[in-house]
Amino acid sequence: MPRPERKTIQLTIDGREVQAAEGAMLVDAAKQGDIEIPYFCYEPKLGQPVGACRMCLVEVEGIPKLQTSCSTPVKDGMVVHTQTDRVRAAQNAIVEFLLVNHPLDCPVCDKGGECPLQDISFGWGLGRSRMIEPKRHFQKPLALSPLVAIDRERCILCYRCVRFSQEIAEDYQLIFAERGADTFVGTHDGHPYVAPFSGNIIELCPVGALTSQPYRFRARPWDIEDGAGICTLCPSQCNVTFTVRDERVLRVLARDHEGVDDGWLCDKGRFAYQAIHVDERITRPLVRDGGELREVSWERAIDAAAGLARHQGRVGTLVGGQASNEEGFLLGRLAREGLASADIDSRAGGAHGWAGPVSADLARALAAPELQASVPDIEFAHTVLLLGCDPRDDAPILDLRIRKGVRRHGVKLAIASARPTALEANATLSVRYAPGDDGRFAAALARALDGADDVGEEIAALASLLRDGGEDVVILYGERLGAGAAALLRIADGLGIAGRDGAGLIGLPGGANGRGLREAGAVPDAGPGYTTLATAGRSTAQIGAAAAAGEITALHLFGTDPVRDQPDRALWERALHSVALVVAHAAVLTEGLAEHATVIFPAESHAEKEGTVVHPDGRLQRLRIAIAHPGEVRPSWAVLAEIARRCGLDTGVTRAHDAFAQLVAAVPAYAGLTLEEIGGRGVRWPERAQAASISGGDVTLVGVPAGEPAPSAQNGSLRLGTYRPIWAAPECEVSPALKFLIPQQQLELSPEDAQRLGIAHGSEVIVSSNGHRLTATAAVRTGVPAGSAFLADGLAAESANALTESLVEVVKV
Amino acid sequence: MSTGAGRISVPRFAHGSRVPGWDDAVDLTKDPAVVPDPATTPVPADLRREIEAAMARYPDRHSAAIPALHAAQAVHGYCSPTAITQVAAIMRLTPAYLTSVASFYDMLELEPRPRHDDVYICTNISCSLLGADELFDAMVAAAAGDNTVHVSSFECLGACDIAPMASVNGEYVGPLVPDDAQRILDDLRAGTPVLPEKQLRYRRCVDATEESETEDRT
Amino acid sequence: MKKLLFDRIDEPGLNTLDVYERRGGYQSLRTALGMSREDVLSQLMDSGIRGRGGAGFQMGRKVSFLPQGDMAKYLVCNADESEPGTFKDRELMQKSPHMLVEGIVIAAYAGGISRSFIYIRGEYQLQADILEAAIAEAADAGYIGEDILGSGLSMSLVLHRGAGAYICGEETGLLDSLEGKRGNPRLKPPFPAIEGLYAGPTLINNVETLATVPHIIRMGGAEYAKIGTETSTGTKLVSISGDVKRPGNYEIELGIPSREIVYGLAGGPPSGRDVKFWFPGGSSSPVLTKDDLDLPYDFDSLAKAGSMLGSGAIIIADESRRVLDTALKLAKFYAHESCGKCVPCREGTNWTHKMLQRITTGEATPMDLDIMASVQTQIIGNCLCVLGDAMAMPIGSMVVKFRAELESEIEAARARSGGADVEDVVALGVADEHAGPLPVH
Repeated sequence: MPRPERKTIQLTIDGREVQAAEGAMLVDAAKQGDIEIPYFCYEPKLGQPVGACRMCLVEVEGIPKLQTSCSTPVKDGMVVHTQTDRVRAAQNAIVEFLLVNHPLDCPVCDKGGECPLQDISFGWGLGRSRMIEPKRHFQKPLALSPLVAIDRERCILCYRCVRFSQEIAEDYQLIFAERGADTFVGTHDGHPYVAPFSGNIIELCPVGALTSQPYRFRARPWDIEDGAGICTLCPSQCNVTFTVRDERVLRVLARDHEGVDDGWLCDKGRFAYQAIHVDERITRPLVRDGGELREVSWERAIDAAAGLARHQGRVGTLVGGQASNEEGFLLGRLAREGLASADIDSRAGGAHGWAGPVSADLARALAAPELQASVPDIEFAHTVLLLGCDPRDDAPILDLRIRKGVRRHGVKLAIASARPTALEANATLSVRYAPGDDGRFAAALARALDGADDVGEEIAALASLLRDGGEDVVILYGERLGAGAAALLRIADGLGIAGRDGAGLIGLPGGANGRGLREAGAVPDAGPGYTTLATAGRSTAQIGAAAAAGEITALHLFGTDPVRDQPDRALWERALHSVALVVAHAAVLTEGLAEHATVIFPAESHAEKEGTVVHPDGRLQRLRIAIAHPGEVRPSWAVLAEIARRCGLDTGVTRAHDAFAQLVAAVPAYAGLTLEEIGGRGVRWPERAQAASISGGDVTLVGVPAGEPAPSAQNGSLRLGTYRPIWAAPECEVSPALKFLIPQQQLELSPEDAQRLGIAHGSEVIVSSNGHRLTATAAVRTGVPAGSAFLADGLAAESANALTESLVEVVKV
Repeated sequence: MSTGAGRISVPRFAHGSRVPGWDDAVDLTKDPAVVPDPATTPVPADLRREIEAAMARYPDRHSAAIPALHAAQAVHGYCSPTAITQVAAIMRLTPAYLTSVASFYDMLELEPRPRHDDVYICTNISCSLLGADELFDAMVAAAAGDNTVHVSSFECLGACDIAPMASVNGEYVGPLVPDDAQRILDDLRAGTPVLPEKQLRYRRCVDATEESETEDRT
Repeated sequence: MKKLLFDRIDEPGLNTLDVYERRGGYQSLRTALGMSREDVLSQLMDSGIRGRGGAGFQMGRKVSFLPQGDMAKYLVCNADESEPGTFKDRELMQKSPHMLVEGIVIAAYAGGISRSFIYIRGEYQLQADILEAAIAEAADAGYIGEDILGSGLSMSLVLHRGAGAYICGEETGLLDSLEGKRGNPRLKPPFPAIEGLYAGPTLINNVETLATVPHIIRMGGAEYAKIGTETSTGTKLVSISGDVKRPGNYEIELGIPSREIVYGLAGGPPSGRDVKFWFPGGSSSPVLTKDDLDLPYDFDSLAKAGSMLGSGAIIIADESRRVLDTALKLAKFYAHESCGKCVPCREGTNWTHKMLQRITTGEATPMDLDIMASVQTQIIGNCLCVLGDAMAMPIGSMVVKFRAELESEIEAARARSGGADVEDVVALGVADEHAGPLPVH
């Protein structure tokens, strides 16, 4: 539903005239007048107030009873008192009641010093208690999950954590059990609370009842500094605050940004900071010497990397998704200007049945400002369509945003995907297609919107939902659509999305900064700002093939290990084996690099980096240095500039800012931007006047490549689809706290196929095709269409990219 | 982190209630309890039918939670993890949702107990004025050692006119005297109606013109 | 006085459609369906009938608060009779279930409602079975379902059994419970008439209130209003229990002297002793003493005396009873039944119970009575729903009215247990209000 308009009204609080939006809750309106009303249970992010803690009682003239200001919407002319004897007596009473059972173990409580209960007891309590009965005592602390500890003595039953689990993440694992004073927070039958967003409950807890296992007792509030940053572990690019002590990141908190993350973080973003400070981290340059990677001096490593210059015209460059715009930009300059090699790509190749990569023309058309939806548009759209993506894995925090839209604003959710998503239960309409058919499905949907009537019932129903469900349609699409995304232009045209506020497209790239890297020119056929290049280079998949064939003789791998990240593991193993030089930049050693890299430069983490990234909705965001570089790690922009210099290219980059300035000069849509303007909240460039430099052009000119239709399952074989689980990342593998989440390969298949093949849920199976095979655990899942099966990629072992064909055989071990 | 082994006992306020779960950590070897997949969660056919029928009675399937839990409790003896998982699979809810609901209500049991018969003794104001506490003690004593009878004190059952009273497998009987405890057990063991002359179902409405029915027991 | 609800209530077979119809049952429904919705509503308004569940809000006004329009609206009959001392709805549902069903259909018609529910407490198994049979009979006879009696009115009626929780008698707790959740009360506003069951406009009424509706239609609202007093119209079922000769349900005309109910109808304490204290409207009502027995039994007179008519349940305790025993039962009950959602109720009921226990174990001082009284005032008015107040009001009234007795209980218990001197407890710093911020935990 479109955003409601709010008019401003005036009310009086404690004699002060206060302006507030009509319908805002009194407790929020009071803040406008610099009046603080204490509360525990209220948290606007959690939706409707519950009024449970009763801390925020105030007197409203004309209403005999005290009112909870968290649940009282302001009205024009309202007169409110927050300082009367009655209010104070109520506040004293509530504090006294809260402390009836709360232990005063503040000296040994992890929350001490940043605890709302401490603050409110001090500010609004009497400072004494008349309760002399023994308090409740529980065992403490106890594990609630490997990530969260629970101390039930301290719990004041404010409802925040359970509301998060039940109404925000909707995993409904965390509950209140029992009743009255016996009520406690727990789970079903001793199961741990493990869910992608569970860590948010730690931040929500207003007392020390829920604490972070990794952070417990690592620091006191007066020991720490805050560093604002961006999490670049996925395209959600959540705004975060790093808790820093002695140049170490000890904790990651949300830095609420309504336009990006709505104040939530996923557990990867919250806990994978541990990867910054682990022994596995590469902190000194490595060079292969006698077959072994050895730590060497920077001079020696740069010397070795300068060997790229000897492969002029034959260097392939792959840019990992976490690279900043500036790094992508410098890599593009190095490749094209320094090494005469246009073979640079930042996009993943597609798996089976893929329509091929997006062309420069299509990328530009899709980036047209009039087609861009913003993140908040998801929440207020009439209809949201997920096309070939599952936000929980691809951009987790958007999963929460969609749930919020459906729950609170009546958004109708339509899902079209090969694999059932995490949002099926929220969908108005859900359509499955065969793995690899993403592009063809999109094309069929476009035709249905054009009026074709031969598309089948499901697509027709989807088309009519999109067409008739309201004008504000937001489409989230995944990178696996590839060139099939061209159909989106027709779909957008058919729905009148262009130029409509509240409607638009959001592409979810495979890499965290996929969009920024495209805009910085880290693609083979476009320069910075989607400018068309005279001669296009090779795409990722082509680079792999060319390297394996000996046409490319050196690889420059920036923050990516293709053996892990790309389809067709065997091809990339051959490619890496074949080339003479592999220069890599990495934070941890993954299998391809360990085996094949010639030089490895230690890479920066997102807490150490300076630069910018672009959110999938076009928001430029700024990475800032929160901690000093550990060990001998150097800024990557400087390393790249130095390699370029040694390859004969003077980039003119001597400060981080120089690379940004060059980027802004090169991308017309960024023209005139400054780092100050981007600041802590970012700037959505599609909203800038300069965005007009990118136009969609004539969409009818962009054909809709059908791609090769996937063969249908036959003779007992299954069509294989892949997905990358949220936890499949090297950062999770090396973070001690997250190790328990590292996915083991499992084959998801339908109950029908499981029965037909005689495969029981949980049994070991061998999945094979064309001589390649892997072992997995069978997971029988309702919702998986018969004939399809799914494997995870991005895993360290038994990853789906071991298989190359779209049809697989499955047998019991 | 305490996970159960080598735990010290914690002194607690002796208000007589010890709530299961308060002192329990989760079992980190378990998987999270998500909505059970129907494909991998077998449910007895009768129970499935009953739950599905309950869901069909309401505009929102969640309303069937209490009837469904009642039904599962009847099948499994109590709301066991298995019972709850079965209900969750049919209702498309997480087991935690149902655990939370079940633990709120006095008539849904989350703890296993060998049982056959339920005897609830009302010990609220009117009944206790007229001797419910003595009745409860007598009932507990009479049923001691008999693990087929579950005796519990209950809050007002809404039959103060027959105070002190009990609900025996849902049948209200009263007014009772401590000696009735043994008779209740005898009737239960014999499988005959419990104290038929004291069953509320046969009781006429009080008439102010009648002679006193209540003896002075004080 | 002529009985309405309890007229020949023990007639054999009255729970069947046959007998009920033979006695003129469902004639009021026919009458109502022959009238316009507005006319039915104005009869309800004219009757002045106030809710019989406890709050005493005018039923007709409640119906009139429902928004007009085609949205899904609901009627919920509150049959979760769990206020200690109350058992009138039980007898009514068991013996004359069709009277309730008829009332529900008429009320639904007046409110433009097409879906109704009866939420009956789970312990009432016999009554639930009887009601279910009656609903099935009524549906077969066309009194429930599509196009009722050819009027175009359609209404479904579902019996929902609870599972044991006092708080589900609170109307919003009941709604949450009926929605399949924990029975936690909701914030008001929004009131159920605007946003209730499944977020739709919802009319919630007590069994007795709805069962009276056929009589109002039969007599006419104005005629009904002639019974009782000006602000407490009609007859009322009164459950009387405790120390009386003839405990049970009596149908009385509102406004008669309380003494007439306690002595005239129920026969007074069987021992012949005087009444010591009595709850006039369920255990949530502040206690009254024998001096209050001449109060007219109606909403306003009892309110003026500092108590309330509540659910119309009188509990009598004679002179041999100890106030402390009843206070303990009361506090234990409310602590057990507090849903735990809001702080003052959850902690206040529990703390009060602990304080009362300390009196019995000889660990209390008279000063604790001051703290107890103060804790009750800290609860009253600060809670999410009325459950906290429901304990705090009677306990508060007991401390005020029976302070001397409670003090001597304290002294006696201390003597029994050889407890510490009062001075020792004061030395802990509990007593001195002006000792400054000295946390004593």
